[in-house]
Amino acid sequence: MSVLQKPTDFTSDQEIRWCPGCGDFAILAQMKKLLPTLGIPPEDIVFVSGIGCSSRFPYYLETYGIHGIHGRAPALATGLARMRPDLQTWVVTGDGDGLSIGCSHLIHALRRNVNIKILLFNNQIYGLTKGQFSPTSPQGLVTGSTPKGTVHEPLNALSVALAGKATFVARSVDTNAKHLGEVLRRAALHRGSAFVEIYQNCHIYNDGAFDYAKNAKIKANHVVELNHGEPLIFGTEQDLAVGLNGPRLETIKQRGGEWADKPLIHDETNQDSSLAQMIAQMRHPEMPEAIGVFRAIKAPTHNDLMPDQSPTTKERAKRLKKQLTSGQTWTVA
Amino acid sequence: MTYVVVEACIKCKHTDCVEVCPVDCFYEGENMLVIHPDECIDCGVCEPECPVDAIKPDTEPGMESWVTLNAELAAIWPVITEQKDAPADAEEWADKPDKLALLSRNPGEG
Ligand SMILES: Cc1ncc(C[n+]2csc(CCOP(=O)(O)OP(=O)(O)O)c2C)c(N)n1
Ligand code: SF4
Ligand code: SF4
Ligand code: SF4
Repeated sequence: MSVLQKPTDFTSDQEIRWCPGCGDFAILAQMKKLLPTLGIPPEDIVFVSGIGCSSRFPYYLETYGIHGIHGRAPALATGLARMRPDLQTWVVTGDGDGLSIGCSHLIHALRRNVNIKILLFNNQIYGLTKGQFSPTSPQGLVTGSTPKGTVHEPLNALSVALAGKATFVARSVDTNAKHLGEVLRRAALHRGSAFVEIYQNCHIYNDGAFDYAKNAKIKANHVVELNHGEPLIFGTEQDLAVGLNGPRLETIKQRGGEWADKPLIHDETNQDSSLAQMIAQMRHPEMPEAIGVFRAIKAPTHNDLMPDQSPTTKERAKRLKKQLTSGQTWTVA
Repeated sequence: MTYVVVEACIKCKHTDCVEVCPVDCFYEGENMLVIHPDECIDCGVCEPECPVDAIKPDTEPGMESWVTLNAELAAIWPVITEQKDAPADAEEWADKPDKLALLSRNPGEG
């Protein structure tokens, strides 16, 4: 057992295959800073991924890693977390991997509250396969496979996670180092399924997709940071806020230093996810987009709910045999 | 790992590198730029942008002293996020060897 101390201790010997300038580098850098602070030996950490540029993440960390099959990382990780609760299990997926082919695996892993931390790198494009639209591509995006622009409404990653009843739901931005570091730390410490959407710039096929949320000059007017117990205030002058008007959210403005309408106060522990859904659905440019922890609630994990179902391998084989021959079976002639 | 700015940048300062860095980790001195080693995410996008080949990965041999110098100066110089015109005599200095003695520790405008 060894506890590593420095980010470089978690650097593997693999040559990085991402394009220069890719946002994935920024996420990797934050992960390398986080891991040594957790006090978990590297041999007790596993990164499971699917397929995509994002899914190459496990190669670049000096921990265990599984480069799985397309969209199936949550299923693989569920099995691992079930049988090896002593490990810290992370999943790295992309908007294609996690929300196209793997969308149902994602939802059900969350619904079961498996003790895994899922990071979805959202670059609104299929990067690895050279730039086709993904389920999160904004409507009208011209890509290699949509020369006249995409026609459908995009999926909202956090809406999916909240619908899946994830007990921890957060969003951050690849190059917002401090924010991302803190969100990853919170996810690492969460007991149960944690889901983090990370806005990630694909420098080659969808460059600048999140400029409004990254450009230091303008982002204050387009991004609102969620902090538990605090109002949703934003803007370069901190004079804008998100308020609840009947059944909808709207942007409100301070006048003469006073709020005519009350800014919404964030409560990440709310069992009811309706407000979190509304906040997740705020979209640029009509509304500011929210980053931070949307929801963090305590609930029994998948393993907690099946305490008597962790038998030894031998017992499992015996039980399985008994189960398979326990009536409800017949021989096909 | 980090990328570092080395000697060739001194008195050259084209600042092409600054435009492309996704995390704004270039810091400006009077006649050189440096990279903040703790902020650089190793993305490598700046390396080919530099017209005088002054940006190197710290994995190249002989980089230790440059990493130290970049770290030290990044802590005291202001961040630079937008490209500026290169000094008028930049071309003259581009290929000159042994410029380290000319390095000014004074901060740039940022
Ligand atoms: C079963 C299967 N179907 C399709 C593919 C082709 N494929 C590879 S990666 C990918 C999408 C990747 O997109 P995303 O998850 O957004 O990752 P990115 O490369 O953008 O990080 C697809 C469709 C595949 N590898 N396997
Ligand atoms: S194609 Fe896009 S997402 Fe993939 S490595 Fe290159 S920049 Fe990153
Ligand atoms: S482009 Fe090269 S020479 Fe110019 S400022 Fe950047 S590192 Fe220095
Ligand atoms: S390698 Fe990337 S992060 Fe580092 S200085 Fe260059 S552009 Fe910036």
